[in-house]
Amino acid sequence: MHPQLQQLVALQDMMGMIREIEEKGSELEDMGFKTAGLDDLKNAREELEGKIDPQVMGLFRRLTGKFGRAVVPVIGNSCTGCFALIPASFVSKTNAGRLQYCESCGRILYWP
Amino acid sequence: MDIADVLKHTSSELFLPDLQATDKESAIQELVSGLSSGMNIQNPDTILQMLQSRESLGSTAVGPGIAFPHGRTLAVQQLSILMARSTKGVDFDSEDGGPTHLFFVLIAPPQDMGHQYIKSLATLIDSVQDTDLRDKLMAADNYEAFCAALKGE
Repeated sequence: MHPQLQQLVALQDMMGMIREIEEKGSELEDMGFKTAGLDDLKNAREELEGKIDPQVMGLFRRLTGKFGRAVVPVIGNSCTGCFALIPASFVSKTNAGRLQYCESCGRILYWP
Repeated sequence: MDIADVLKHTSSELFLPDLQATDKESAIQELVSGLSSGMNIQNPDTILQMLQSRESLGSTAVGPGIAFPHGRTLAVQQLSILMARSTKGVDFDSEDGGPTHLFFVLIAPPQDMGHQYIKSLATLIDSVQDTDLRDKLMAADNYEAFCAALKGE
């Protein structure tokens, strides 16, 4: 996987985790889970954001603001953000070294 | 949600009867490796990073000798549960300081809107509070016996 994409996916997962703790933290704490490390996780998020190319980070933020999630998985040759068909050529080896975007909605594509 | 519903999200391919790791970092890697081969995951590092982030919030070893590593990631399309056992025990930073012998790893996609995995997590935690059950799980010969014990059969 493209290293920048790996970082974006990790960042998006981390943002989801922070949001979940903020929204459902008390439910998790009732089950016995500790969430004391939330500030550390937020710091780790900022650190990871700093490692990502600023231009890509800017796009990631814009897409997150617009759609909620900037990176979406491709399932069954479709972008799961807008359900547009993704051309088979997108998964060729020549494209493995760069970020790829849905031609319809612009979201960043991820092949799980 | 009852335990039979929860067990629909696992399979014999997602059962590790004897973990070899004895420290937390290696155990997480072994669990992710089990998920990766059991589910044919293309990008296991994504799951590894997510579980490591989750542990940085606080250890998920919240039961007596039991851990419930969990979280959401783009790497999976449906809730999946890996069950694992360690006879040696793993130092998983448990609350009571004791070794962790049983692991229930819950991985859900971000779009699990009904918080199905949190409900599954709650059901699992409730189900394994009984000491006798934990003994049965440690003694179970195989995946089928492990599931039967969880279901109280």
